[in-house]
Amino acid sequence: MSSLEIRDLTVELGNRIILKNLDLSISSGSFAAILGPSGCGKTTLLRSIAGLITPKGGAIRFGKQLVSVSSLVLPPHKRNIGYVPQEGGLFPHLSVEENVSFSLVKKTSKKDRDELVEELLDLVGMPNYQKRLPQELSGGQQTRIALARALAMKPAMILLDEPFAALDQTLRSEISQEVVALLKSSKTTSIMVTHDREDALVSADIIALMRDGQVVQSGSPSEVYLKPISAAAAESTGDILTLPANKIEGNQYLSPLNSPVEQIGQRAGYESGQILVRPEEIALNLEPGERRVSAKISKINYYGHDALVELNFAGLAQIVRARVTDTRGLEVGSNIFVSHKGPIRWVPEKATDQ
Amino acid sequence: MGQDSWAKRQSRPSITLIAASLIAFLTASLPLFYLFRRAIDAEVSEISLILFRSKTLEILATTLGLTIAVTALSTLIGIALAWTLFNIDLPFKSTLQALVILPVAIPSYVFTYSWISLIPGFKGLWAALFVLVLATTPFITLTTLAALRRSDWSTYEVAQTLGLNGLQIFVRVTWPQIKNSVAAGSLLSALYVLSDFGAISLLGVDTLTRAIENIYRGSFDRSSASILALILVAISALVIRLEERSRQRLHIIKSSNRIIKRAKTNDKFKVKLIALFGIGSYLALGLVIPLFQLLSIFLANSTSINYSLLFKASISTLIAACLGALIALALALPVGVLSAQGSRLGRVSDKAILIVHALPGIVMGLALVSFGSSIGWLYQSLLLLSFAYALLFMAKAVGSVRSSVDRVPKNLIEISATLGLPKSATFRRVVIPLATPGLLSGTLLVLLAAMKELPATLMLKPIGFETLATQMWSYSSIFRFNEAAPYALLLVLIAAIPTFLINRPDKGDGIGGDQI
Repeated sequence: MSSLEIRDLTVELGNRIILKNLDLSISSGSFAAILGPSGCGKTTLLRSIAGLITPKGGAIRFGKQLVSVSSLVLPPHKRNIGYVPQEGGLFPHLSVEENVSFSLVKKTSKKDRDELVEELLDLVGMPNYQKRLPQELSGGQQTRIALARALAMKPAMILLDEPFAALDQTLRSEISQEVVALLKSSKTTSIMVTHDREDALVSADIIALMRDGQVVQSGSPSEVYLKPISAAAAESTGDILTLPANKIEGNQYLSPLNSPVEQIGQRAGYESGQILVRPEEIALNLEPGERRVSAKISKINYYGHDALVELNFAGLAQIVRARVTDTRGLEVGSNIFVSHKGPIRWVPEKATDQ
Repeated sequence: MGQDSWAKRQSRPSITLIAASLIAFLTASLPLFYLFRRAIDAEVSEISLILFRSKTLEILATTLGLTIAVTALSTLIGIALAWTLFNIDLPFKSTLQALVILPVAIPSYVFTYSWISLIPGFKGLWAALFVLVLATTPFITLTTLAALRRSDWSTYEVAQTLGLNGLQIFVRVTWPQIKNSVAAGSLLSALYVLSDFGAISLLGVDTLTRAIENIYRGSFDRSSASILALILVAISALVIRLEERSRQRLHIIKSSNRIIKRAKTNDKFKVKLIALFGIGSYLALGLVIPLFQLLSIFLANSTSINYSLLFKASISTLIAACLGALIALALALPVGVLSAQGSRLGRVSDKAILIVHALPGIVMGLALVSFGSSIGWLYQSLLLLSFAYALLFMAKAVGSVRSSVDRVPKNLIEISATLGLPKSATFRRVVIPLATPGLLSGTLLVLLAAMKELPATLMLKPIGFETLATQMWSYSSIFRFNEAAPYALLLVLIAAIPTFLINRPDKGDGIGGDQI
């Protein structure tokens, strides 16, 4: 296992810049998730790390070894990387044991290979599957075999490209938990590309948020969720509301969640900007009180474990959504008293477009 | 620094591959070199005399007219057969699918021979049109069926929900998805007609192939024969170019990777009856009547058959054809791989090989007689005969190699590299095993064509070496149909084996369809 250090990475494909001066550090043995919307360049980043794409500039280092810099690009077969693509990418002409031992042929004796295959199949929870063919396996089983195949070569790093995307919701959560636990226990540095924020938040030690070919923020799941550096970063990890606000003094703010809307805006002595609020940080109260603002319930979307309540504030065109676990006493068309119970994430006006 | 993906660099051909392709290209070009060399021996006045005499123009018109008419008719019938077999819920459907392809196993001269023996006055242009349409229709049926099986069924369902009727669906949805494959089948049909010797010779139709044969046999004038052969090369090149231009890049994006069960096919009794009548008529003319005729002649004369000669000819046929198929595969492999990688050398070699494929066997025979006689031991050897088969039919193997290598998923090549395997090992352990079914199909296609080959075999066979085709020919050309029948029948039976293997009904995607 080794750490990963990427500096100033730029990748251009067909005259289009896909990655732009990208920086990323992942410490040895950790499980990292690259999270971002489709087309942001996350798969290109993974393929650059694997050596399947030659960058235009920048450097990639595995531990102390420089694997990609303008004068040297180590080919993929010399990087000692385990790569698990979407749907596993098992060789259809080879049995499970031949797939798992694919990288070991000629390096080890048949007996050692068989033992290692058995060990790895036990590890991924599929003993006695040696003779099966890939087409006889379910999607989840194929992913597990692909992981065993990648682990067989004792890689410095494992790269997972949306490995659970093709699985259905129930299987996906089960398999992803198993795979992540397995990789963490093996202490192999692992990097998973995903567009599913729940996958990333649940599994990763570190999340790198990507937008437009750059890592816009990286940190622990709670750090990137609770302290996003921008609205875009906040959006990547969960639902977010951007509300107009004024900074009064110190940590005091005026926002539609604590003041009538007409009091907010361009005012002398007050700094204008926006606050970022997660829907679960809005409290709904049946009674009025201090720093509570009245709003009208326009819709309730019930999800079972929680509900999203849509609120209309007088003077505010935007619909505000609050997530609540208890909908008792809430009715469409009735008035409710709203307050803000979470941290304040202030975005000054000049930074709001980022 | 210029940059590209590793996959792109990975696909750059190695020196070994380029060298092997060059060897294949130069080898395939041997008959073309021969033609040019012979043609420049002739005086300019002689060339213009041959080119512009009325007889040449007449032959040219017959050749072009016959090629266009056969290709158009076989394309229409082939599409109709494929569409019917794909869309109508017929009894014994997979058997019918195998049977409509089976006429490929019958050489055109056997077709002709059986019809001549049935109808004594069977002769001339119309007879040639009839026989060649029957013989070439399977090319289109096969490629169209394969394309229909690959097409996205959900698009037909969507078209139905959008209110399109059957004809509109065919024109606006089906046709764009199958037209490249239909064009590929039509190309094969046209090249078959251009190079056919057996049928037109027996039916007395003066096409370029027959004229070349007559000039050579009559006067041993190799220069004039070469000039006519070059006209044939030019027409073939034009046909290949036309097919290329008609081809559009088509990416069928299936709406889902899941296997979607096809909606119920048409099961109306009246429709089924009409469909069965159509397919039955084709099978009767293209398969049942010729085979029945051969069988009747054979049974009427079974006592006087020389079984030891029959057995010997069968073994000789198989040995020469197998050796030819192996040489073809060895030469086709580097060209097919290069072509799949999009290399220019691969594409150029591919085209040269396709043009050689359209050469009549007699031209190949002439070229190799000239080549073989300069190397004493090679002349009239089994190796030279097999080499001729390889050159004539290498195009079939190249097509199979190209399409099967092209279908190996690129992500598996990448995964192999990330698992530590260099390019050569990836090729050996991933590409070749995955492409093997296609490579085998290609080899079988060459085997099938080589077993049926006649004119080059007549010229190049070692002394005393007789194949089923040459034995049959030697009897039927002197109208001893009774003695020719067992050879023709056995040839069809043996050729039916690779035909069936290539197009096994259980092969869901009709893999042979792209390659025949």
